[in-house]
Amino acid sequence: MKLRQHFLNEFKILWIILFFLLLISFLGQYSAFSGTLDGQVQKHLIRMIVGIAVMWCAYIVDFKIWSNLAYAFYAFSLISLMIVDLLGTVKLGAQRWIDLYFFTFQPSELMKLALILALARYYSMLSALETVDLKCHISPIFFTLLPVIWIAKQPDLGTAGLLLGTGFVMIFLTGFPQKIFTIVIISLMGLCPLGWFFLHDYQKNRILTFLAPDRDPLGAGYNILQSKIAIGSGHVWGRGFLQGTQSKLNFLPEKNTDFIFTTIAEESGFFGSLLVLCLFLALCGYFFWAASETRTKFSKLICYGLGTLIFLHVFVNIAMVIGLLPIVGIPLPFLSYGGSSMITFMISCGLVMSAVGQKKR
Amino acid sequence: MFDSNDPKNSIKLRAKTVFYAILILNLILIISLYRLQINNAEKYVLLSNRNRIRLSPILPKRGHIMTSDGKIIAGNICRYKLIMDRCSDQIFQKNMNILEQFINFSNEDIVSILDQRKRKLPAVVIKDGLSWNEYSRLSMILFKLKNVSLENIYVRNYTMPLEFGHIVGHTSKNSDSIPILVGKIGIESSLNDQLIGEIGNIQTEVNAVGQKVRILDSRDPIEGKDVILTIDTQIQKYVYDLLSAEKAGACVVLDISNGEVLAMVSVPTFNPNVISGKMTNSQWRSITGDPLFPLMNRAVSCSYPPGSIFKIIVAFAALSEGVVSAKDKILCTGGIKMDDRVFHCWNRAGHGRVDLYDALKFSCDCYFFEIAKKLGIDAIVEYAKKFGFGSKTGIELPSENVGLLPTKRWKFLRYGTSWKSYETMIAGIGQGALLATPMQLAVMLGKLYTEDYNFSPTLIKSAKKNQVTNPIHREHLDIIKNALYQVCIFGTASGSCRTDYGISGKTGSSQVRRIKPQEVGLNQKSIPWASRDHAFFVGCAPYKNPRYVVAVLVEHGGGGAAVAAPIARKIFDRLMKK
Repeated sequence: MKLRQHFLNEFKILWIILFFLLLISFLGQYSAFSGTLDGQVQKHLIRMIVGIAVMWCAYIVDFKIWSNLAYAFYAFSLISLMIVDLLGTVKLGAQRWIDLYFFTFQPSELMKLALILALARYYSMLSALETVDLKCHISPIFFTLLPVIWIAKQPDLGTAGLLLGTGFVMIFLTGFPQKIFTIVIISLMGLCPLGWFFLHDYQKNRILTFLAPDRDPLGAGYNILQSKIAIGSGHVWGRGFLQGTQSKLNFLPEKNTDFIFTTIAEESGFFGSLLVLCLFLALCGYFFWAASETRTKFSKLICYGLGTLIFLHVFVNIAMVIGLLPIVGIPLPFLSYGGSSMITFMISCGLVMSAVGQKKR
Repeated sequence: MFDSNDPKNSIKLRAKTVFYAILILNLILIISLYRLQINNAEKYVLLSNRNRIRLSPILPKRGHIMTSDGKIIAGNICRYKLIMDRCSDQIFQKNMNILEQFINFSNEDIVSILDQRKRKLPAVVIKDGLSWNEYSRLSMILFKLKNVSLENIYVRNYTMPLEFGHIVGHTSKNSDSIPILVGKIGIESSLNDQLIGEIGNIQTEVNAVGQKVRILDSRDPIEGKDVILTIDTQIQKYVYDLLSAEKAGACVVLDISNGEVLAMVSVPTFNPNVISGKMTNSQWRSITGDPLFPLMNRAVSCSYPPGSIFKIIVAFAALSEGVVSAKDKILCTGGIKMDDRVFHCWNRAGHGRVDLYDALKFSCDCYFFEIAKKLGIDAIVEYAKKFGFGSKTGIELPSENVGLLPTKRWKFLRYGTSWKSYETMIAGIGQGALLATPMQLAVMLGKLYTEDYNFSPTLIKSAKKNQVTNPIHREHLDIIKNALYQVCIFGTASGSCRTDYGISGKTGSSQVRRIKPQEVGLNQKSIPWASRDHAFFVGCAPYKNPRYVVAVLVEHGGGGAAVAAPIARKIFDRLMKK
């Protein structure tokens, strides 16, 4: 009883943020599915409820168990990733799913949590003095690069990039020498052009399109152009709920999943986009604040890692739909249609709550 | 940089750095969104609308052209068209498989359909000009087909095309993006604004694949207004039948009580149905390449030397100016010497001593040489102008010819030489540079018999009553009218125009070139067609209460009395029976 009251009362700010995000999520999906409460919108609602249940589960699990199971979880995720290569079904040209007959899930989603847990676990064992030594960072880098390379091979550059980013931030947080960190970042940027030769044709196309969207407005540039038209035509207050012509008339690609922000921005304008951005910033800020509320290094790192993960999702997703980044398949947390992503971020919230609630137990 | 002894601080400090980075990235997003949604919103709204809104015109029904007795001579008939909106290849193939059972596609049809699909037009014309049978069968199965619709468009149809070709003219499709019919010549052209109506439109919203989703807005077209002509179908047909026996010619019939044109015929004529429809190249060449220019409306768009007809004006001018009185006699010896040249009367034997009546009756050239000399060209031009020479009659047809009224000024500007006195003499008998259209000659007589300089003809029926607004001096008119009556009783036209109701008129045989000495007295039939005189007759009837004016021109017909006057007589007879 106490636990449940705590779950509901102690995290009022988080609940408010989540409430608005889920409300926008529902309205966005309802609109993107042409204003009908059909099976798919209901499915989305069910996922939210299941998500909150999962969040509760993540919350009640003793935080030590997370710490104890971190490596095992990481290993499980990594193996799942590899199984994808052998058994996974090809969807949209990329192998990201395992068909478990009753539902499909993306091991790469699992990997995001697993990596954060594993890194947090690893660093929680080290003192700040030890982390100054470069040698101790070798295995975390290995932890990070292993799934990153694997996922990049799938090929899913977006998720790989996100994992890489999250991993780097966590390594940076724990006291990786700043100078070397900067050098690594810069040299990685320098290596990017080399990576060109390892890309698939469609990925090259996406990058070319990103650099010059007008190159082929009916072909590869179509998505970016239509997405920009939709967002731009929203103006200040938007075209009105259910009035977005770009999404209603199917000019938008993937309007329910990766491009859900486009639908929202078209119908609610700059006001709506700003609201969504602020909610995510608040959520991220909450995670960072929660870190200072916890005692152990493990829980702090979990909070920072999850906050970074969510923000990177938001940034990459929105930057790609407004043409700042090439189109890579990154969902918008809570808002995009899809079960794996919803569950992942609900668990994230549960973990943060658990980390904060740890001291009260 | 940080206190490495305090791990909590170190993480917190670095977390701060990370959070600042997050804030900066967030700011980048906000700025980008601001630029997209606030700064460039208008551009994207425009692009968004262009994506989804299709504006298609709805063509109005063109107004009818009718005769005064209510016969529609230019109407619309429906043509059926099968249209398929842009759709996927699967749907297209499925549709075509069904359609093939109902329509016979020629190879050309298939090529055109595939070509239209290749060009990704929003709508493909599958078949134009379906038969009624095909149309009705297709409308039964239309529900089975996706994206297919039947459309009916109106095309112009001319009944009595040959009789009315020059009056009505023809239409052709506008070369603009909206394929509305536009009049090209005739009434179709001059009253196009009235006939055309207003184009309506329909705004439809389409989705990403170009399928119509819903109608946003529509404006109904406004049908064109009908035009009622003053032409009498029966008279027009009668005149046409008479004139079509000739190679080339024109005729104008006026009702001078209100200026209405009862008939206007020009031969050779053309078929506007052929020109308005799908015409082959050879058909078009046969029309434009014809040496007789069938597209030319000879009644208003061609001018001829009026010849002896012009003597009416000269006689009236002479009387008005007091140069001669009606009874003054002038000796005609068959010719007159001037500047070392001899100007012959058409009757080389001479008419003897003639007064004005005789001179008009027998069309004596010498008499008019003399009085023209006395009048001078300026006076002749002044009166000719009053009777409408050298200016448009204002008939509601495009490309009306103004003819030519030569003056001293015109000669100087045209040839840079001064006016010679023999030119005045030639002008006195309506030859030389002087040119007039048959319509102008009819109107001249109309002015004379309505005793109104402002008399003008019209092709459009209106309630307007002719009121005398610019009266002509009565005294001299009566002499002229009397003389013209005598022309048809005792004079040149007495052979064909002596009737109980009384025709008054004047014949004219205008030379088209100088007569060579060896040709004097030759029968016109024995010289080549293009060298023969133009045969003119203008007349008015009945003698009491003059009502109808008829002007007949037979191009290169020979003598006016022999060729034009008999035609006019028949027309007058027909008019009197009306």
